[in-house]
Amino acid sequence: MTPVRLALLRSAAAIALTVGLSAPAAAALGGSAATVENDRVSMQGALMRMTRNDDFAVHEIRTATGTMVREYVSRAGTVFAVVWQGPWTPDLRQLLGDSFERVQRSMQAARQARKARGVVAIDEPDLVVHISGHQRAFYGRAYMPGLVPSGMQAEVIR
Amino acid sequence: MVRVLAVAMFAAATVAPQCGSSSSGSSGPSGPVQNFQTLVVNAGPANAYLDGAFTTVTVCLPGQSSCQTIDGILVDTGSTGLRVLSDRLSLQLPQQNDPTGAPVVECAPFADGFTWGPVRTADIKMAGEQASNVPVQVIGASGFPVIPQSCSSNGPPEQTLDALGANGILGIGVFRQDCGSACTVSGSSNAGLYYSCPASGCRIVAQPLAQQVQNPVALFATDNNGVMIQLPTVVPGGAPAVSGMIVFGIGTQADNALGTAKVLTLDGDGNFSTSYASQSIGSTYVDSGSNGIFFLDSATTGLPICSLSTDFYCPATLQTQSATNRGLNGASSSVTFTVGNVDALPASVNAAAEVAGPNPGGFAWGLPFFFGRSVFTAFEAASTPGGSGPYVAY
Repeated sequence: MTPVRLALLRSAAAIALTVGLSAPAAAALGGSAATVENDRVSMQGALMRMTRNDDFAVHEIRTATGTMVREYVSRAGTVFAVVWQGPWTPDLRQLLGDSFERVQRSMQAARQARKARGVVAIDEPDLVVHISGHQRAFYGRAYMPGLVPSGMQAEVIR
Repeated sequence: MVRVLAVAMFAAATVAPQCGSSSSGSSGPSGPVQNFQTLVVNAGPANAYLDGAFTTVTVCLPGQSSCQTIDGILVDTGSTGLRVLSDRLSLQLPQQNDPTGAPVVECAPFADGFTWGPVRTADIKMAGEQASNVPVQVIGASGFPVIPQSCSSNGPPEQTLDALGANGILGIGVFRQDCGSACTVSGSSNAGLYYSCPASGCRIVAQPLAQQVQNPVALFATDNNGVMIQLPTVVPGGAPAVSGMIVFGIGTQADNALGTAKVLTLDGDGNFSTSYASQSIGSTYVDSGSNGIFFLDSATTGLPICSLSTDFYCPATLQTQSATNRGLNGASSSVTFTVGNVDALPASVNAAAEVAGPNPGGFAWGLPFFFGRSVFTAFEAASTPGGSGPYVAY
């Protein structure tokens, strides 16, 4: 290994260490664009690619356990949707941020009516969450309708 | 006299028909073992389940005659392994320990939450079949009250009868272990299902395949390449309960032949694909543990969401839908199903074919798919007359 490459590796390691130490538990869904990087570090993931159009950017992260996470960031710089697909559920406390406990409560809430088993469907004016799948293949999607860019169809989030 | 009676009873047992109408027990020494038992779709032990299939499992101390029979166990082709609520289990099953001597505890993920509890070892008996020394999960067993944050970040805990709606889960999906190789590695790429829990606290640990929670049917001495689930047709409007059959093995006995069933092979994740209208949907699956056919969304299907049971669709009248499933092998099969008004089902109804709900971007063929069908699930790498697993066939 050449000295130059070693130095590069060292500095990359130093940066990774700094980011890791400073990573706050800040919100992803509903948080600022900067929280996408917090999520990546927390999930020990790799940013696979970023795509952008006039209204939003999509950051695609592959977690260390092989699940793909896509975070949708509006032009205003807010994460308005997160999507995951892969063998294992990502850290939802990190990914859903401030919405996590609400989602957990909603999933546990006693129902007067019939309850779905094996899938999750939360459809409220300010928060929509759908989770499905089986062991070794899970899929989830969460978004905040109030933060979705105007004119964008929810079906685009996937 | 006693001896004569014993001989007479033995003779009666051996001449009893192997494919008799009901009852349990093992067969005579020369015939095939009984490979089927009943399952029932009813409200379940929590009296709160719509479209859940329940059966009975006998668990025993390994190698001993001390056993307990537990009913109200949910039959789930979407997971792997036997899990029993600790307060339903009176047997003290032996704890599995890691090489340091610390107890192994599992965080098992499900789409709608997780179960947390120690891995213990049991012999498992169903019909005339037995699997020995099987790692199982005892959900919520005392001694491990603190759920690690890395586990609870999966969603809500399903640790009680109310939360689970069942006394336990019999996971008989296509996989042999619930995690597989993703849990055998060390470091951040470990999927994080298994924990070593010494008194100082729990940490994620690498777990060899053989120590992971196992599909018990795949460990039977015979009839171990898959399962068939058979449920009757249910009339529109539903029924309080219907009963069907779970048959172990595929093409191993006269009662589990594939016949004309179409084999759809699955990808490495256990999925196939489905087309609906002009849309093609990847990563679709059959899952007896989901209590509806959960597919797409209102905008795509034109089906309105219920006003009360908001997890489900509620069209004003019964709607007929169709979709085509396609296996990895290219085999395809058109499926017609109905979607009805879940809010309009009487409270007494626990089994209904027209139960469906939203699942944007996805297609989950839950228990209603099983009504009026024989559905085969072939385990990964298992040899069957229909080829090698994993596949579903119906």
